[in-house]
Amino acid sequence: MSAPSSAAQQKLKNHIHHECLRAFKTAIPLMISFIPFGMMLGAQAKIKGMSLLELVLMCGINFAGGSEFVAIGLWQEVPPLLLIVCMTLLVNCRHILMGVTMIPICRRQPVRKMLLSFFLLCDETWALSLQDSYRRMGEGYREPFSYSYYITIAVSFYITWVITAVLGMLVGPLLGDLTQYGFDMAFPAVFIVLIKGMWNGWRRGITWACSLVVACIVHLIIPGAWYVIAGAMTGLLFVLCVPPRFFEVNRA
Amino acid sequence: MLDHLITQHALLTILGMGLVTYLTRISGYLLLRNKNYPRLTRVLEILPGCVMISLIAPIFVTGKLSDLIAVILTILTAMRFSFLVTLIVGVGSAGILRHLLPLLLH
Repeated sequence: MSAPSSAAQQKLKNHIHHECLRAFKTAIPLMISFIPFGMMLGAQAKIKGMSLLELVLMCGINFAGGSEFVAIGLWQEVPPLLLIVCMTLLVNCRHILMGVTMIPICRRQPVRKMLLSFFLLCDETWALSLQDSYRRMGEGYREPFSYSYYITIAVSFYITWVITAVLGMLVGPLLGDLTQYGFDMAFPAVFIVLIKGMWNGWRRGITWACSLVVACIVHLIIPGAWYVIAGAMTGLLFVLCVPPRFFEVNRA
Repeated sequence: MLDHLITQHALLTILGMGLVTYLTRISGYLLLRNKNYPRLTRVLEILPGCVMISLIAPIFVTGKLSDLIAVILTILTAMRFSFLVTLIVGVGSAGILRHLLPLLLH
């Protein structure tokens, strides 16, 4: 009885090992792209008079880069609690949409497990995991969501984020602005590749173009993170307003 | 006791941020998990791209010619080449153009 079950266990172990390795390899370029952002965050936190413990707790408990930059921008000796929490909500509203897009993918996963793993959901983890699930769906896997893949990417980013922020606080001010070397272009580059992967004809492209134009305009005229919400909502309205057949023509 | 490491007020602010962020992470999933509208499915096929492209909108409008050229080069590379090549072209072109363009234009 134990022999076949241990063989199955071994197989499962190999599978998980394989998924983790695959995820880690995918995550490496993005982990590198985290370095300038994390270091910038740490350096700015230092300038604002944050303590190391405060920085680590913020990165570890909140773990959402955009809102942390905003919070540090508003940070004071006695931080304006309500303002910072409201800005955090605004900047991170997009997570709500990301959570919704995860629904069709993780339908077969236990709810409690997903609720726990969503603690680590960030832009990059969401995008990579979604792309991987779409690919698996296309290849006919019964379960599109690879939990090991998701969690490996998420934990890799989490550790990288906290460590680079701490490094930034310790040595950041010595290095100056790392974006002058172009590292900040890694984030758009990754998303451009992911968007290209979801391309299936100009009909979808038009929706995305509308989102981009509105997001750009809003970014130019309204400070803060409204541009993400505005761009996403534009796409949402567009999809709801055009007849369903519009998008079905290109479906293979 | 830990007052010299973190003030109570700072701790509350950070916990508040963490709570709000976690709620944004789970609420979409939690609220719509059991719904099944055909329209929702259609929206869900297109929404991820809308969110992704909106996230990167700022790079298109930094007002710097170097950033605009770099992002166009990145898009062109992405159409033909792999992820890693695109990443190298994106970061490399941004880094080089930001240093070279100001020299060329003046």
